[in-house]
Amino acid sequence: MSRLTRIVLSLLLVALMVVGTVAFIFWAIHASPRFQAILVRIVFVSLLIFLAILFARYFSLLWFAYLEHAERNVLEPRKQVHLPAISVIVPAYNEGAIIEETMESLARMDYPAYEVVVVDDGSTDDTLERAVSWQGRHGAADFRVLTRRNGGKATALNTGIAASHHPYVFCMDADSRLEARTLRRAMRMMLEDDSVGAVAGNVKVANRGKLITKLQALEYIEGLNMPRRAQGFIAAVNIVPGPVGLFRRQALEEMGGYDTDTFAEDADLTLKMVAAGWKVVYEDAAIAWTEAPERWLDLVQQRYRWTRGILQSLKKRKGLFLRPFPDFPLWLSVLEMAFEAIVWPILNVYAQLFFAIVALLFGAGELLLYWWILLTLLDLVAAFVTVSMEEESLSLVPFAFAYRFFFILFLDVVKMFAALDELFNLGMGWEKLRRVATT
Amino acid sequence: MNVIDLLITIVVVTILVTIVLAVITYVAYKLRLARQPAGDAAAGDELRYFVKYEPSLPDAPTKDHAPET
Repeated sequence: MSRLTRIVLSLLLVALMVVGTVAFIFWAIHASPRFQAILVRIVFVSLLIFLAILFARYFSLLWFAYLEHAERNVLEPRKQVHLPAISVIVPAYNEGAIIEETMESLARMDYPAYEVVVVDDGSTDDTLERAVSWQGRHGAADFRVLTRRNGGKATALNTGIAASHHPYVFCMDADSRLEARTLRRAMRMMLEDDSVGAVAGNVKVANRGKLITKLQALEYIEGLNMPRRAQGFIAAVNIVPGPVGLFRRQALEEMGGYDTDTFAEDADLTLKMVAAGWKVVYEDAAIAWTEAPERWLDLVQQRYRWTRGILQSLKKRKGLFLRPFPDFPLWLSVLEMAFEAIVWPILNVYAQLFFAIVALLFGAGELLLYWWILLTLLDLVAAFVTVSMEEESLSLVPFAFAYRFFFILFLDVVKMFAALDELFNLGMGWEKLRRVATT
Repeated sequence: MNVIDLLITIVVVTILVTIVLAVITYVAYKLRLARQPAGDAAAGDELRYFVKYEPSLPDAPTKDHAPET
């Protein structure tokens, strides 16, 4: 099917959805009072079902996240262990504005021995020059810089992994800043069990000066880290985030490194590892601070890429959906990933649109209002619990209003379009987010 | 209009406006993509790899630490 045909088909589908919505409104206005009453009942039941699904989702995630948090806080303190050397891989493309700050944070790691391999992926700015100025020994680390023709993040990571030496590999983003204890805490989780192939760290938003970034800060805590924490309880984290992930080299080599055929190479590799039987766990103290998009267009770009990348990864492994056994945690993890990436956004957008239209047309606004109040309360509680678990500032909690009111729905619309584009296999590129170095 | 009606109006309007804004932003993103020149690797970039990099460090780098290509 040609690209033009696919674009036309996707536009037709969008047009169909719009026409369908308008037709529904037209029909509803002119339907008999009996049908209108039935419609209101359908709305009422749908609201309850939607609320039930949401409660089930939040409750299960919060419960498992709490179990993971409690397990780690009530177990006996771990004995001091020998910390093996780590290779830290930093792929960089046009990160001249921030690469030196990243190098500075890496030089300050509280870890006995590690190397830093920066892979310049054919940058067209001064990334390479700035990175090269850091070559040599800095504290406990040797810094090396490689440069290559532009080939994408996955290829840059594979280049760095191949050129590195140590049995454990830490992959990060060039715009991330690690805390001094990040490597140490990640390694301790890794060493607890030989079947652990990767440790997912905790990504936090560093630039919180604007509403859009505050909302993302809350989203990372409540929407990303909480599910990751819950998945960590069953050792089946489905995404080791790009900014902070520690890998066992043996596991990486078995997987053949990162595949280059998706736009979410982190999700893709993690799924590969979990499907191969490796445990993937979560360490909330292995923290990386990252720069979140500060413009709405940049945010759309990022989430579009994430959604399509995740769907590409799931498509590669669609057989897993039909095999709940023998690896039930993997099946749950994959289901949850698909649910969050595609089912829930579409459900949320259409449910809210449906409820809003019926509320407008038939005066069922009170139902909608009380339902929305319950949702907001749910988000407030989830925000309070997750922010507390992460020992973050409680000043983020009130942003749960805007988070529920606007942010989630906005992103779900973008995810819906991304899913549509992926369904029709429309072309996409990496694009570069504008770095502002505000932190 | 009482408080309940006002809140209902706010919720409904916010839902509809959010969806519209998201659609507009998505369309703007697609337009931005369409406006970018195809093929960022201009001929000038290829020349980069034929120019030997000379780091401006006080000490001459050893072979082991030279940028590898």
